[in-house]
Amino acid sequence: MRKARLPGFALAIPAWVWLATFFIAPVAVVFYYSFGYKPGLFGTHATDRLSLDRYVEVLTPTFFETFVATMWIALAGTALCLVIGGPVAYWMAVKAPPSWRGLLLALVLVPFWTNFLVRTIGWQVILAPEGWMSQAAQAIGLPAFDILYTRTAVLLGVVYNYLPLMILPLFVAFDRVGEPLREASRDLGANRLRTFWRVTLPLAQPGIVVGMLLVYIPLMGDYITATVLGGAKGNMVGQMVAAQFQTAQNWALGSAMAVTLVIVIVLSAAVVGGLCWLGTWPLRRANRVVLDAPEEVTA
Amino acid sequence: MPANDDVRILASRASTPLVRRELSRRGFLAFAAGTGTTMFLAACTTPGGAPAPAATGGALENALSIYTWGDYDAPEVLEGFTADLGPRITLDSYGSNEEMIAKLVAAKGTSGYDIIVPTGVFIPQLIENGLLYKLNRDLIPNIEHVDEAYLGRVWDPDNEYSICKAWGTTGFVYDKTVITRELKTWSDFLDAAKNEASGRTAVLDDPVEITGIYYWANGIDWDTTDPAEIDAAEKYLLEELAPHIAAFDSYPGGAAIPQATHVLMQAWNGDARIGIMESPDPDRWQWVLGSPATELWMDNWAISASAPHPEAAHAFLNYVLDPEWAIAQIDYIGYHTGAKNIEAMAREAGLELLDMVFFTPEQLATMQDGEINEAQARNVEIWNKIKAAAGA
Repeated sequence: MRKARLPGFALAIPAWVWLATFFIAPVAVVFYYSFGYKPGLFGTHATDRLSLDRYVEVLTPTFFETFVATMWIALAGTALCLVIGGPVAYWMAVKAPPSWRGLLLALVLVPFWTNFLVRTIGWQVILAPEGWMSQAAQAIGLPAFDILYTRTAVLLGVVYNYLPLMILPLFVAFDRVGEPLREASRDLGANRLRTFWRVTLPLAQPGIVVGMLLVYIPLMGDYITATVLGGAKGNMVGQMVAAQFQTAQNWALGSAMAVTLVIVIVLSAAVVGGLCWLGTWPLRRANRVVLDAPEEVTA
Repeated sequence: MPANDDVRILASRASTPLVRRELSRRGFLAFAAGTGTTMFLAACTTPGGAPAPAATGGALENALSIYTWGDYDAPEVLEGFTADLGPRITLDSYGSNEEMIAKLVAAKGTSGYDIIVPTGVFIPQLIENGLLYKLNRDLIPNIEHVDEAYLGRVWDPDNEYSICKAWGTTGFVYDKTVITRELKTWSDFLDAAKNEASGRTAVLDDPVEITGIYYWANGIDWDTTDPAEIDAAEKYLLEELAPHIAAFDSYPGGAAIPQATHVLMQAWNGDARIGIMESPDPDRWQWVLGSPATELWMDNWAISASAPHPEAAHAFLNYVLDPEWAIAQIDYIGYHTGAKNIEAMAREAGLELLDMVFFTPEQLATMQDGEINEAQARNVEIWNKIKAAAGA
């Protein structure tokens, strides 16, 4: 007699229920509200009359300008995290003694033990024009250090807060490539650089993509880090959405902005992904292994 | 025997309230035990949440839930209430009126909060949405200790729903080591922002505070809904002020003033005062009350329409208005609480920088009440535009 078994998807039910309740349902509500309107001075939303008017209101030059500024911060932050986090992850996965890995991973996670707002405000104290970093610079004869409320400070804060999100997937990706494959590559005559470009990097590519998405997507919606350190220079589109929900009490327009933002973030990630795919095309072409030519050997 | 439910006892006058409360609490408990199940079932059948029962000065409930601004009451006042009258206090805080209102509206009468502390301009909205409890003023005799100047404001002319909790005003603070001339008015503020303080100026992160600078400087009604005036404000602020703004900061007293991050900062008086007191070099800062006009905002004690503990809520309002606590409250929050003779008491207690808390009648006359009106959406739009322009 066959034992009765639960279907395989049963294991995924808790996650689906969770997502449906706490993610899909709220997003659906926001989507629905975005077709509504603000019914009066003291109301936040009404949906008895649905229209696309709120979306027309969203598409203003201010929204566009703020969105572009946000995207620059997000793209630059993602690129910096990749450039800085990539070598660290590679070193942790490949070069560092395996017995250190647990400790190194724990160290990467240490910042998450403190609330990110507290950590970001900590940077504000350090970077203040009369903060200790500035005083230290002046003590050794350098000019006063004044980068708080500049784009430099924004990027510093962004990299600081998001670097672990880049390092962790990259570490996993580099780690999974495994020593045997690198060894085989060297045995077959590839030098270290060639092994990296043709074996490690292509196999780690999914991890790199995940790392970039993990940084880019939350960064597009983050309006705390940038504002705390960048002030006016850290104006993010998330603030405009929050302003509609909170200050203007116009949930319909805020919802339309949120939905627009989701769509544009997905599109921009797709465009950036497409560009990367095109950009790495020569690499893939060069790396292509042709398996259908054994005739030469036998001939 | 007269048909009369009164109980006659022999007791000192001072102990009467306590005895009355204890007696009625026992009565209440007996009643509750008998009807508890019924009440529970009844509660289940009204998903909208029943409105609070009328407060009649009966027994205090054993709990009180306060939903207020962060760090807004001296701990000894809250502890004193529990120690003296019994109800345990649960404190929850919000960062904006909108957040509080959104929570009350979304909870549809099940928020569980008794006391809320809305800013005056939001009170008409709360009343219109049926979110406020009509106060039983007989239970709050200590309202007599509130200065009449801070009662009967435009948002609640007869104080049917609210009583002044604290009020403040808007001005600015500048660094005398960088701006060596004397600044006195909003026009001076704008001029300094464009010159000595360019790129080192912060304004409050609030639409009506930013547009306010222009209206107050130019003698225009702060609550204007005239499109021509709003357009002019937008044009000026966007072209003349925005390029010089370094940050939008509603609480520069927390970090920006002590750390000397900017040289010119728009600020609320109590926050600026804290910032200057925390500064390692307080003498470099000069506080200026905005002129020729500025605002007067007021946060107000109010009770939620669905308050589960209305008796305790009324008792708390009466307790907190007792002159005994006036100094503790003003010392803790740094804002005028509206209590009578508070200025004399504060001077006697030796509190610092009192010219940033108390104002002359002439200054008070220049302070305008705000209101939420049809200009709200435009103000938010201008605010977003200024932010985009300042960040460019």
